[in-house]
Amino acid sequence: MLEARSAQAQSPAAVRSRIIELTVNGERHEILVKPRNTIVEVLREKIGLMGTKHGCEQGACGVCTVLLDGRAVLGCLTLAVECDGKSVRTVEGLAQGGQLSPIQQAFLDQGAVQCGYCTAGMLMSATALLERNPKPSIAEIKKALEGNICRCTGYNAIVAAIQQASGQGVEPVMR
Amino acid sequence: MTGLRHIGKSVRRKDGPDKVTGRAVYSEDVKLPGTLVGRVLRSPHPHARILRIDTAKAMSLPGVKAVITAEDTKGVKHGFVETPRYPPDQDVLARGRVVYVGEEIAAVAAVDQMTAQQALDLIEVEYEPLPAVFDPLEAMQPGAPEIHASHPKAAIEVPYANIGGRTTSGWGDVEEGFASADYIREDRFESHLRTHGYLEPHVTIAYWESERLNVWTSSMGTFIKRAKLARTLDLPYSAIRVHKAYCGGTFGGKIDLYAHEYCAARLSMLTQRPVRIVVNREEIFSAYRHGQPLIIEIKTGVRKDGTIVAQQMRTINNSGAYRGSGVVVIFLAWGFTMIPYRIPNLKYEGLSVYTNYPVRAPQRGHGCPQVRFAIESQLDAIAEHLGIDPVTIRLRNAREPWEALPNGDNVHEAGLIDCIKLAAEKSNIIDHYGKGRNASGTIRRGIGMGVSGYFGGSLIYPNGSGVIVKMNDDGSATVLTGGIDVGQGSETVICQIVAEELSLDLDDVKIISSDTDTTPQDIGAWISGMTYVTGNATRQAAGNVRRKMLDLASSRLNVDAQSLAVEDKVVFNRNDPHQRMTYREIIAYSIATKRGDTILGEGFWRTMRDEPAHPSLATTKGRWSENYAFSCQVAEVEVDIETGEAKLLKALTVHDCGFPMNPALVKGQIDGQVSMALGHAFLEEIITKDGFTLNPNWLDYRMPTIHEMAASDDADVITEQYVVGQPYRTKEVGEGLVSGILAAIANAIYDATGVRLTSTPFTPEKLLRGLRQLEREKRAKN
Repeated sequence: MLEARSAQAQSPAAVRSRIIELTVNGERHEILVKPRNTIVEVLREKIGLMGTKHGCEQGACGVCTVLLDGRAVLGCLTLAVECDGKSVRTVEGLAQGGQLSPIQQAFLDQGAVQCGYCTAGMLMSATALLERNPKPSIAEIKKALEGNICRCTGYNAIVAAIQQASGQGVEPVMR
Repeated sequence: MTGLRHIGKSVRRKDGPDKVTGRAVYSEDVKLPGTLVGRVLRSPHPHARILRIDTAKAMSLPGVKAVITAEDTKGVKHGFVETPRYPPDQDVLARGRVVYVGEEIAAVAAVDQMTAQQALDLIEVEYEPLPAVFDPLEAMQPGAPEIHASHPKAAIEVPYANIGGRTTSGWGDVEEGFASADYIREDRFESHLRTHGYLEPHVTIAYWESERLNVWTSSMGTFIKRAKLARTLDLPYSAIRVHKAYCGGTFGGKIDLYAHEYCAARLSMLTQRPVRIVVNREEIFSAYRHGQPLIIEIKTGVRKDGTIVAQQMRTINNSGAYRGSGVVVIFLAWGFTMIPYRIPNLKYEGLSVYTNYPVRAPQRGHGCPQVRFAIESQLDAIAEHLGIDPVTIRLRNAREPWEALPNGDNVHEAGLIDCIKLAAEKSNIIDHYGKGRNASGTIRRGIGMGVSGYFGGSLIYPNGSGVIVKMNDDGSATVLTGGIDVGQGSETVICQIVAEELSLDLDDVKIISSDTDTTPQDIGAWISGMTYVTGNATRQAAGNVRRKMLDLASSRLNVDAQSLAVEDKVVFNRNDPHQRMTYREIIAYSIATKRGDTILGEGFWRTMRDEPAHPSLATTKGRWSENYAFSCQVAEVEVDIETGEAKLLKALTVHDCGFPMNPALVKGQIDGQVSMALGHAFLEEIITKDGFTLNPNWLDYRMPTIHEMAASDDADVITEQYVVGQPYRTKEVGEGLVSGILAAIANAIYDATGVRLTSTPFTPEKLLRGLRQLEREKRAKN
């Protein structure tokens, strides 16, 4: 682990860049990327959308979750070149016309946000779930969010938020 | 708490909209043009002499802008504790010797990540490996490899090696106490190594510009970061600005100075460019500061009715290769022993032992979970021996309101007894307890109780908080606080206080926080006192604004200030409500008539203002806190006796935090701590071999996922209240609640199976071993 990894084999200049076409939150971009660039790097460093965070960068925490053609994917394990011609949605694309989406509002109403670092990924996993299953059961919520770690909330408020957003009789606890 | 509009209400987080839309700026989101990438070279040995470091090849690699080693530092040491007895002991970069795997040796700044990594590969270091030691008991043996010379005083007092610090305390006469006991029990408990699990990695951006250092770093307190950077860089405090950045979780793991923060700063000073260092998860797991595994030996004597008459305790802390917060944990372990129960005779010794592991930090509870697990487990065992139920034995020993603690503190309106009674009633533990063990089938249910107490705020740099409230011309307010929101919701609570004191809507209050240049000094989010200390400073600052506005309205309206009331940004005469001035008018009046004075209020607070300093870490003498929180927690678990797997089904937390300023934020703290405790109990353990971490990632180190979510109920025992214009006493809620529930889980496992586990985590292997042992004992009896 702490042994320095040799980077000599692929010096940055030696690897050919490619132009990819991405639709991000409805806007089209043409971007020059290296084959090794992940989608989260491209979103943050080339497009300037900083809402998607870097977490463990090992695919284990879900912090960097974004939607790729409507499907929740881990941004750190998805290469930008795989997204060529596809549509990406991020946390910045959830609110419409200054209005929070129901799931964003429910996260605030239920106290499902504390430090906020897992929040973008949680919201994207929850959005993907609710778009394919408007009234998920608790078991379905757990299945959809099993790849997103939250250290602050113990998850109770997050489950409640998804139930609130899907109109399952859960009332806001914060006003 | 009648008539309050904001305090005691579950208002939404002030930072919430920014956090759900991705606008909240964390350290990693700070982008400055021309930023260089910094990387740190770490020791591959647990203990070695550094014979030679050659950075020439790294320096000559195109794209490398600077390389630093200990030679490029001012040689100023730092430490979590910096007192005359325990002076700072850690170099920012290793000098001559490395004492743990991952210790920082050198750092580079380069144009990109790959070049920086390549430069690290080109730094030549010649080591002479030295014998290393990892087990604290082995490290204590005379002749063990010496990591540092033992602390001079401790070395005289105890004949052990590698003693970094020692705490002794006690009162009464334990020998006499034990002689009067009807039953004496001795046990030994061990805890294990866990990481904090903050999701945001450590990230630091430093930019030296115009003779000033600008820093954005993941932290729990920007003022302590500034102080430690200033000292190690030999700069005046005023030359450093630690900017506000949201922090993606801390739990104790982002306080103190970290080498990468120093390195980013030093590299920026050398290159005159911004330098950014991201510490990856593997580095955090392998080389960064985690919690502290304790060995706790405890002997308790009781009377037949369960009354504790004497307790003797020895704590051995595996503190890692520097002092870190190890010497604080052995002090705190004494503290967490004495808070909830009356112990007439106590003898305590804590030893902090150097080993070749990374240095240790506070971790949510800072020793309390380990201590309460030990004491509460033993207390249940004693109760069973005496034929007393777990509730009665706790009530027998619980502190009453207004008791003086042996160190001179007072517990004030301690709600512990009510917490225990309410928890017993809500959980019905007495009816359920003892049933699981005798049930049939392979799935067994159990219930257990645990009690804890926790201090709120103590004296440690910078000791006090200041707050400024500024009125804007339109009658809205801006509050400036050094307090940092690490997720607990401090920005929201501070705004609630301002809105309450000034009778404003919450939207009328804006907050500027945790920037060392523009906000007043603050104690930070790491001593469990922000709601009390910074909160009272806020209340005072807003109160001063209110008083100024009332005085101005009084002079303008020619009405006695006593007759004036405040509502919705208007000051009016109670006896004649037509006599009124809006805040806007009062502020304009002040500027027009008082040489341009706009309206500002200052507030300051310090806990225990008659106490010069924190208590002695060596002797525990001195006062510690004026805010003691109490709790009683109940766990319901399920154990599969075929597989040994156990899980927490339901947690109940009944606690006395004074009063909840924002009940939903308090609830968030409770749920988070229950989740952290169940990770502690069942899932999380850092596995090491010869000082190397074998599971440095979240696939091999399991944190609770949504599948492990436990039902978490809670109830408040309210003992204090908030009155506008009056100082208030509120108590801790952010870290004391990991402890009782961890102890309760252990007791519930015993209740379900008859297996008394004396070490964490509660793995299937340990449970099955315990069950087999019980079977053998049963067969032997028959």
